[in-house]
Amino acid sequence: MSQILDSLQQFWQFTGFANCTWGNLVMILIGIFFITMGILKEWEPLLLVPIGFGMIVGNIPMFPGLNIGIYEDGSVLNILYQGVKQGWYPPLIFLGIGAMTDFSALISQPRLILIGAAAQMGIFGAYLLALACGFAPNEAGAIGIIGGADGPTAIFLSSKLAPDLMGAIAVSAYSYMALVPVIQRPIMLALTTKKERLIRMPKPREVSRREKIIFPIVGFLMTAFIVPSGLPLLGMLFFGNLLKESGVTKRLANTASSALIDIVTTLIGLTVGASTQADKFLTGRSLMIFGLGLLSFIIATASGVLFVKLINLFIKNPEKKINPLIGNAGVSAVPDSARVSEVVGREADPSNHLLMNAMAPNVAGVIGSAVAAGILLGFLG
Amino acid sequence: MRRLLSIAIFVTAAVSAAAQNLTDLIISEACVANLTGIVDADGQRRSWLEITNTSTGTVNYAGCFLSDEKSNLKKYMVPKGDLSNRLGSRQVTVIWPSFEICPGTTLYLVSTDGRTVIDTIDVPEDLPADMSVRKVAKDNKRIDFRTDPNPAVPTPGMMNTDGEIESGSERVAHHDPHGWTLTLTSVSVVFGALLILMIIFTVSGNTFSGKYRRAKKGTPSPEEAAAIAIALSEHLSDEDADIAAIGLAIHLFLSEEVHDSESYRITITSVTPLWGDKTRNFRKTIKR
Repeated sequence: MSQILDSLQQFWQFTGFANCTWGNLVMILIGIFFITMGILKEWEPLLLVPIGFGMIVGNIPMFPGLNIGIYEDGSVLNILYQGVKQGWYPPLIFLGIGAMTDFSALISQPRLILIGAAAQMGIFGAYLLALACGFAPNEAGAIGIIGGADGPTAIFLSSKLAPDLMGAIAVSAYSYMALVPVIQRPIMLALTTKKERLIRMPKPREVSRREKIIFPIVGFLMTAFIVPSGLPLLGMLFFGNLLKESGVTKRLANTASSALIDIVTTLIGLTVGASTQADKFLTGRSLMIFGLGLLSFIIATASGVLFVKLINLFIKNPEKKINPLIGNAGVSAVPDSARVSEVVGREADPSNHLLMNAMAPNVAGVIGSAVAAGILLGFLG
Repeated sequence: MRRLLSIAIFVTAAVSAAAQNLTDLIISEACVANLTGIVDADGQRRSWLEITNTSTGTVNYAGCFLSDEKSNLKKYMVPKGDLSNRLGSRQVTVIWPSFEICPGTTLYLVSTDGRTVIDTIDVPEDLPADMSVRKVAKDNKRIDFRTDPNPAVPTPGMMNTDGEIESGSERVAHHDPHGWTLTLTSVSVVFGALLILMIIFTVSGNTFSGKYRRAKKGTPSPEEAAAIAIALSEHLSDEDADIAAIGLAIHLFLSEEVHDSESYRITITSVTPLWGDKTRNFRKTIKR
């Protein structure tokens, strides 16, 4: 009998209940909150549900030495986590994004491309703020990229510049991407007048197939020659788009834009979530990263809107004025931020559809954030 | 077309010249008294020096000169026509000059013109045997080098490092603690990259949408085309009018006046033309 009791006592030491800390419980609750928001509010469910469940997986209290934890070499989770740590997953996601994205809106309205550049001010604003808060330049660069509103880019850059902060940066980036409608709308309303919100923009012209094929080749050559360090992201993005637009590689484009991106998104979400173990995640620095991430989103949105207002000062023809409500779409949360432009635009005028116009700065933002990531990697890597 | 060709040739020449930038070469190491070290192709131990390509492109150093006398910069010429004289990005090579390197001299790496000094290294008077004077990378990108004041154990054919290389982050923290330089540089690059894309796609968009296309001589304007159609309707029967309308549409399409968004297809909606529609005719049929 005593042997059985000893065994049970020994077994108890192996259970999660015996090893549980308050930190684990907090992280499990955050994970459940993410899942709830993903399911009930449908805020980026493809990301929040895997990340939320990953948080729960990563924070199950365990007896060390079982070789199952994400930070234990050779464990299954650790092997899957290498895709995040070594930066394999983000370029694969970019391949899928390229194969899914229609760049017609951007090709037909090239003047809107610069809005995608203006919105990257969020990255550099957060970089300056992070430096002022005492982060090292490489950490500040990784934190700043949250303002690019691009999860894969944030993971790619933080894995190279500040692996220790990657969990907090990734969770912060994806959380704020999910909250794009909540964060951006009040900023857009505060910075625009009723008259500006009513500006109607012309319908984008039809784009020929030849233009769509030329775009990824020229776009890649130009951006990659300027920022070779952004090659993994830019190369995969434009390659995916070429697969889509060439018309002769439909099977490859279909795989990249469906099965492949789904698999990688599942793995990246789960492992990023699992990497947020309480002892590594619940720190004052993580809280600062969340604060800086929010500020970077605010700066990015405001920069985009204000930049459009600035451009409008130089446009004399009232028919060619740009609606500042598409300025927010310069952050690269595709297509959520463009949807926000459409929704806020229709609140002012239900017959004014801005979605197609907003898609131009939106996809330009994807290119802009990849270029910005390349620059930061080049300087700080 | 001729202008385009000229630009292409100019760009190609410029890119080739940049790729062949000899100024990216440095003398990275030199060993004077080589008693126990590496041997040359003949199995002899002689003094040697090492050249490093600090650029990201390939540099062909064939025809360059090495010397230890400022008054005679063409003392030794690197043989031409040898494929191994091409140095890839951040690559290092060992050269066995025809002259013996002496302590207390300065070594010169001279361009193919025999006059332009690319790089120099001072060989200390008291350099011990089997030790070398070298330049070590100051940064992890292996671009910026400085001369090591202390004699070092030779590392021929290997990138020199003293193990204290500054990382990019450390360099930025040192030179740009508040981050403004990096920020302004990065913002300029992001805007520059997207500005280039904007210009390219503005030009290509205008080209593809026909903005730069000149109307062919003799091609009717839309107003003229409408007038022709009305004139035809007055002189042709109902069936002929259809044929004329189709013919005119094809003519306009082929003369590239009319853009059809669907390639290889001209959409002709089956609408009864006004000029052939008896129900809309001004001359009413007289009912008896």
